[in-house]
Amino acid sequence: MASPRQLDKRRKAVRNIRKITRTMELIATARFKRAMDRAEAATAYTQRITALVADLARSGLEVSHPLLEAREQTRRVVLLVLTGNRGLCGGYNSSVQRLAQHRLGELRQEGIEVVLEVSGKRGIGAFRFRNIEPDETYTHFEDRPTFDEVDLLASRYLDEFAAGRIDRLEVAYTQFISASRQAPAVETLLPLTEIAGAPSEQSDAEAATGHSMYEFLPSAESILEEVVPTSFKVKLFKCFLDAAVSEQIARMVAMKRATENADEMIRMLSMEYNRARQTRITGELLEVLGGVEALNA
Amino acid sequence: MATLQCIVVTPEATVRDEPADFVALPLYDGELGVAPNHSPMIGRLGFGELRIVSGGKAERFYVDGGFVQVAGNVVSVLTPRAIAAEQLDAEAAQEELEAARKMKANTPERMARRDRIVAQSRAQLRVAKHARG
Repeated sequence: MASPRQLDKRRKAVRNIRKITRTMELIATARFKRAMDRAEAATAYTQRITALVADLARSGLEVSHPLLEAREQTRRVVLLVLTGNRGLCGGYNSSVQRLAQHRLGELRQEGIEVVLEVSGKRGIGAFRFRNIEPDETYTHFEDRPTFDEVDLLASRYLDEFAAGRIDRLEVAYTQFISASRQAPAVETLLPLTEIAGAPSEQSDAEAATGHSMYEFLPSAESILEEVVPTSFKVKLFKCFLDAAVSEQIARMVAMKRATENADEMIRMLSMEYNRARQTRITGELLEVLGGVEALNA
Repeated sequence: MATLQCIVVTPEATVRDEPADFVALPLYDGELGVAPNHSPMIGRLGFGELRIVSGGKAERFYVDGGFVQVAGNVVSVLTPRAIAAEQLDAEAAQEELEAARKMKANTPERMARRDRIVAQSRAQLRVAKHARG
């Protein structure tokens, strides 16, 4: 059995680690709340855009746009992978990375040229480790991605898609489903498969009567032309926000578990330490008693 | 008298959600004033100054395009960016304008990009100048 001194040293080390993980948990909690607020603000915007599209559709407008049309042939695909800049967040980075890599293999097997773009140091490192060099890397998206930053990226994709240099954009990220559930997912953002608010096929025909209470300035078509790219940008922004929120949750959970494990370990070590101390005292007592016995004899 | 509710939303935050007496919107081709009981409309915004008058005081914002929806005395402004006029950086806008003017514009896309930046920075300068008096 280890000496009490050694055990005490280990216990102290675990206590220090516990302090760190606990602090990280608190920081992640604070960041999560902030990220969540931003995600909610973005939702408010998305809902309003959706309502706007619904109003446009109700005016009897044919919802069509080059961004909504699937290409006949897919030759070049951009795969954007969103991971964190930091580790210590459980399986967050590795699960996105694994999914992205799987998708990459699938696309390559189909003979499609893939442009790999990775955001986050962790993902970049993981791909490099597997000898896959990303075509483009970003590390400036922290836990607070701003719309301006995403806008730059989104505009570039739009331009390239319009020019026919890319035929599809897929984003691998961690979807935020609820506070207790996040799942890695690959989503196709270009071409936009559907635009929220547009009437689906089974929606009642009476909705599109061609009568609308709105006056359109300059015209419904021109507004639609502008709404579609905006809706794409917001979708991409939402992906970034989802990833940021999920990362903080993952870190929070991982650090909470680490703190709990540290607690457990401290308990075990304390028990062992007390036992070792007791054994030593007993041993010393026996030695003293033995000595007395020997003198008396 | 009916009052307007003026809501300004960007993807990052809800900038403003308060009543107003009068709203002047920078539409793509000029300014449009909205008073209470305006007929419903959806419009496309340009780069320019959004003026919201309530209680005799005017709030000014620079908005970066987007849309506006007017219905039932609610004015919803959806824009990628809304900056309070006092917080605009006139010098930065001036620099941007000069940089944009020097940009090469040898393809249609580049030309469109340059024109957009020029229009944006000019609008920012205009709004900033207005705010200072």
